[in-house]
Amino acid sequence: MPWTGLAVAAYIIAAVVTIAWEFRVRSEGYAPTLNDTTDLWADRREAVRPDSLVVIGDSRPLFDIDFDALEAVLGKRPVQLAIAGSGAYPILDDLANDESFKGDVIISLVPAMFMTPGGYLEQASRDALKRYKSRGPAQRFSHHIAMFLEERIAFLQQEDLTLGMLLQDINIPNRPGALVPPRFPPYFQTADRERRVRMADECAIVGSPMQQSVVASWQRLFRPPAPPSWIPPEVFFEQLQKGMEARFGESAAAIAKIRARGGRVVWVRFPHTGWVKEMENVGTPRAPTWDRMIKETGAPGIHFEDHPELAGFDCPEWSHLSGPDSVEFSKRLAPHLKRAFEEQQPKS
Amino acid sequence: MLFNSLTFVVFFIVVVVLFWAIRSWSWKKNMLLVASYVFYGAWNPPFALLLLFSTFIDYIAGAKMAAEERPFARRVWLVISLVANLGLLGFFKYGGFFVHNMEGFLVQMGVQYRAPAIDVILPVGISFYTFQTLSYTLDIYRRKLAPAASFRDFALYVAFFPQLVAGPIVRAIDFLPQCVTQTPPRAGRFAWGMFLMTLGLFQKVVLADTLLASSSDSVFGYGGKLAMLDAWTGVLGFSAQIFFDFSGYSTCAIGLAMCLGFYLNDNFRFPYAAVGFSDFWRRWHISLSTWLRDYLYIPMGGNRHGAWRTGLNLVVLMFLGGLWHGAAWTFVVWGLIHGFYLVVEHTLRTLFGDPRFFSTLLSKIAIGLLTYVAVCFAWVFFRAQDFGTAWRIVESMVGITGTADKLLSTRELLQVGIVTVALLTAHWLMRETSIEDVAARTPKWLIAGVWATMLFFIILTQGSANAFIYFQF
Repeated sequence: MPWTGLAVAAYIIAAVVTIAWEFRVRSEGYAPTLNDTTDLWADRREAVRPDSLVVIGDSRPLFDIDFDALEAVLGKRPVQLAIAGSGAYPILDDLANDESFKGDVIISLVPAMFMTPGGYLEQASRDALKRYKSRGPAQRFSHHIAMFLEERIAFLQQEDLTLGMLLQDINIPNRPGALVPPRFPPYFQTADRERRVRMADECAIVGSPMQQSVVASWQRLFRPPAPPSWIPPEVFFEQLQKGMEARFGESAAAIAKIRARGGRVVWVRFPHTGWVKEMENVGTPRAPTWDRMIKETGAPGIHFEDHPELAGFDCPEWSHLSGPDSVEFSKRLAPHLKRAFEEQQPKS
Repeated sequence: MLFNSLTFVVFFIVVVVLFWAIRSWSWKKNMLLVASYVFYGAWNPPFALLLLFSTFIDYIAGAKMAAEERPFARRVWLVISLVANLGLLGFFKYGGFFVHNMEGFLVQMGVQYRAPAIDVILPVGISFYTFQTLSYTLDIYRRKLAPAASFRDFALYVAFFPQLVAGPIVRAIDFLPQCVTQTPPRAGRFAWGMFLMTLGLFQKVVLADTLLASSSDSVFGYGGKLAMLDAWTGVLGFSAQIFFDFSGYSTCAIGLAMCLGFYLNDNFRFPYAAVGFSDFWRRWHISLSTWLRDYLYIPMGGNRHGAWRTGLNLVVLMFLGGLWHGAAWTFVVWGLIHGFYLVVEHTLRTLFGDPRFFSTLLSKIAIGLLTYVAVCFAWVFFRAQDFGTAWRIVESMVGITGTADKLLSTRELLQVGIVTVALLTAHWLMRETSIEDVAARTPKWLIAGVWATMLFFIILTQGSANAFIYFQF
């Protein structure tokens, strides 16, 4: 068998098909961007210095915070540690237990995400922390090559275009009653090496296929999941309530540790609109969640609804700001942040 | 460094270019030795020192044993090698397990004892290279092998990166002679090695990780009662996943070694077409089962001391085989189940011989399927993180759970079903042959097409795959 010739033929065919695939995905609107992986997060965690300004939380600060706008007012460039679809308490706890950290923290509070103990929300944060603490030289090197390629090749898009995700897009009806989790929304953002995430332009157009698709995803994802079948519902909800109650005290203790070292912490409620806002208002009303968290932790809070200049933004897909709006929102948010940091104990 | 990582792609290109550029065989080996330590140290650099320590001890022990004529002195050097290797393995792999069980035992005896917490990271591949180096000293002790001609050759045998972390477990008797003289490099042999690497990676990242892992992870991670279809799908998914994962690694290792001019023996021979359990173990993880046979089963007496002793030897062998895979009782039970299977098979063969009925194709297929189902049942204990999960899945598989949850999507059911049928069909069609033979009979255009398709699908997975399952052992 002429193996050398076969190898040449196979690699040429594979290269041609791969190039054709790249053209195909670009024609569908995909463009090269970094995947927001745990390695990218670990890079940013490593960039945290003792006096850094750090942002933690869910996807809202990822989309809504513009680093240049905040840096212009606060004098420090934020380090983005928020993670989409996560409960950020483990990250707060990690910063609180990092004796070297004496900086400033902006925490996004989406109560259903931050306060739910355990589960896949906190797992996302734990996975990122694990990567930060355990990755070896080979994993670092792979990550740098991956970033080089992702910045140039459009089909390297892990949220939509891996073989596994493409298979998930094949529409096959499930059995009645099957407990199949909803798919996360399709690709609708770009990210850079600082983890500055911006909403894709198409998604910012209300009524566009991408915006409709993301909105449909939120309607599936933002519903509270059914209790597991092996735990009686009353026991499950009692445990959940206990865990959420405990989260107030845990957060207060973590914030107290950071502040005891001279650090400063501010809670922020980022804009959300439409059906998502209705769901959050019903599921996690303001008084027993946001207001109580501010009171019990003693850290100041900035709620977008309390300030007219922050309240007028429209989220095209109900949960995040468009790229241009994120810059304007950050410009308006920055003076509030400056004030909130300054009203705390001066840094030692 | 994972074979399915971008770092490895760069590493491989550099190593291959250097290997083909360097003319001297001695310098080629020097380069391969350095590359192997870079490969291993890229995970956790300090563990490369552990590898070096193990290498050094066994090289000295081997040389001293070969030079020594007094039986007692030879035995002392063997004991030094055994204590050093098994001591390291015991400390890193079984230390926490032993302490945890000791605590439980003392509590049962009414003694409240809490041992200090031990947080030990398991060095990748320690089970593999420990067995590999032990085979060297054991073979020298038995005078079946002459010691390595140079420390460099022996160090390369221990650290040779294609098979260092997950096998195949290579015997010195097979590898060291290849170090003495170089097999003349040939482009065709290199290309065949590349084909095997592509096939191995395809098995790992496309079949195991993309098509199968999610089903078995969901089923084995679920806390409730599962519908029978879901439980079976999870277990069949895992049985295919672990084959593609481990066989994929071995195939990559063999292909990679071939690209560098070395030949490694097969580690799998279509095991899911096994007819009976002894046949299964002649086809699954061959380098481990032959290691256990040659260095444990036969020295324990094998089948030479009657039916009872043979049965006991088989059970002890599989108990140790289970423990080798991991420091948990679930692995031990998995090994004991296979020990039980082997005893039953051995007893039936002793009682009935091999009746002519069993040689027909139909009966072979029936026994083969029975073997496969029994192997799948055993995999439940291998994969489950605790006995509660294992029992829950077994209950669901036999349908005694009552109301149960449907966990998997139709797509996942189809993926596992299609891959399992394809896997069993391929193993049965190929059970008496080899990949080389099949490739030789296949039209060239088809090989090029299949190869290109595998490459494209590997690219489509985008490196979002997991570590190989056997790395944890």
